[in-house]
Amino acid sequence: MTKWRVLSYQEFDAFTNMAIDEAIGESVSGGGSPTIRFYGWKPSAISIGYFQAIRDEVNLANCEAAGVNVVRRRTGGGAVYHDQVGEITYSVTGKVNLFPEGIVDSYKVICSWIIDSLALLDIKAEFKPINDLISNGKKISGNAQTRRNGVLLQHGTILYSVDVDRMFSLLNVPDEKIKDKLIANVKERVTSVTAQRPVSKDELYKALFDGFTKNKDFESGKLTDTEVIRAKELAQVRYVSKDWNFMR
Amino acid sequence: MRCLEKIPNGKLVAVDVIVSAGKVVSMKITGDFFLYPEEQITALEAAFVGVSPSLSDSELSDRIKQAIKNAELIGVSVDDLIRIFRKATL
Repeated sequence: MTKWRVLSYQEFDAFTNMAIDEAIGESVSGGGSPTIRFYGWKPSAISIGYFQAIRDEVNLANCEAAGVNVVRRRTGGGAVYHDQVGEITYSVTGKVNLFPEGIVDSYKVICSWIIDSLALLDIKAEFKPINDLISNGKKISGNAQTRRNGVLLQHGTILYSVDVDRMFSLLNVPDEKIKDKLIANVKERVTSVTAQRPVSKDELYKALFDGFTKNKDFESGKLTDTEVIRAKELAQVRYVSKDWNFMR
Repeated sequence: MRCLEKIPNGKLVAVDVIVSAGKVVSMKITGDFFLYPEEQITALEAAFVGVSPSLSDSELSDRIKQAIKNAELIGVSVDDLIRIFRKATL
C-alpha cells in the first residue's frame, strides 16, 4: 500500500506556497513519498492560472492597496482569491501512476476526497467536470492540476466563507459594463462551507484531514531540509519575479 | 485584434492577434484553460505565426496539431481555437 506523507495546515505567503508545491513535486519525482499538504495564505492573495493575462484578471492597484499578493501558478485554470480566513487550500502530489491516466478521471479521484470530507460535515457536494465541485448547484471548490516529470500535482481550494464583493474589488472582469450583473451572477453561483452549515474552520480542516487520509496508509510529516531550501530558491527565482508573474 | 469566448462546457479563451501584410505576426492565447505541459503554449501560439488568415481550417488544424502533438489541451479544442482566431481576424 502506498504510504502518504501528510503536511499539516500552515500559512505562508503566496510565493512560498507555490514554491513549496513545486519543491514537493521535485522531491516526489526523485523518489520521495506522495504528499498531501494543507495550507493557507498569509497575507490573502490572488493566484492566477498559468495561461491568464495578469492585467486582464487582476486589479493590481487595488491588490497593492489592500496588501494582497498576486502570484502566477504553474497550473492552468482561473484566477482565485485566497482569503486568509475564508478558505483552506490543499495540494496532492504523487507519481502519475497513482492516479487514473485521463485528466478528468484523475480530477474526479482527488475531488472525491473533498466530497468525502464535506460529507463528514453533512455537506453534500458533487464533482462538476472539468475541475469544480458544487454543492446545492453552487461552486464550493476549484481545483487545478499539472503533470510533469512523471508527477501529478493537483492543488485546489475549499471555500470556507466567501465575500464576493471583496473578491471583485481585487479581480477584473472581462466587461466593466456588466460588472454588477456578473457579481450578482457569481453570488448566485458560488457558495461556501459556512453558507451550507454552521461549522468552524477547525472543523472543516479536521474533516479535510480525515477525508483525504481515509483508507490510506499515511504519516504526518514535514518538509525535508532539501525541500525547504529548494522552496526558498524557487520563491525567489520564480514566484516573486516580475518575469514570471507578468509573463502573460 | 482580440476575440474572447467562453467555450460551452469549457473555459474562457482570449485570442489577441496581429496581422501585418497578410500574415499573422503575433498571436497570444490567454484564459483559464489547461495545457499539459504548460510550456507548449509557446509552440501553440507559434503555430499561428506566419499564417495567412485565408489558410483553410484543415491546413491550420494540421499545423496546430503538429505543433502540440505531445501536449494535451483541456477546456478548449483546436477547432474552438480556429473559430476564435477567425473571429479575431475578421
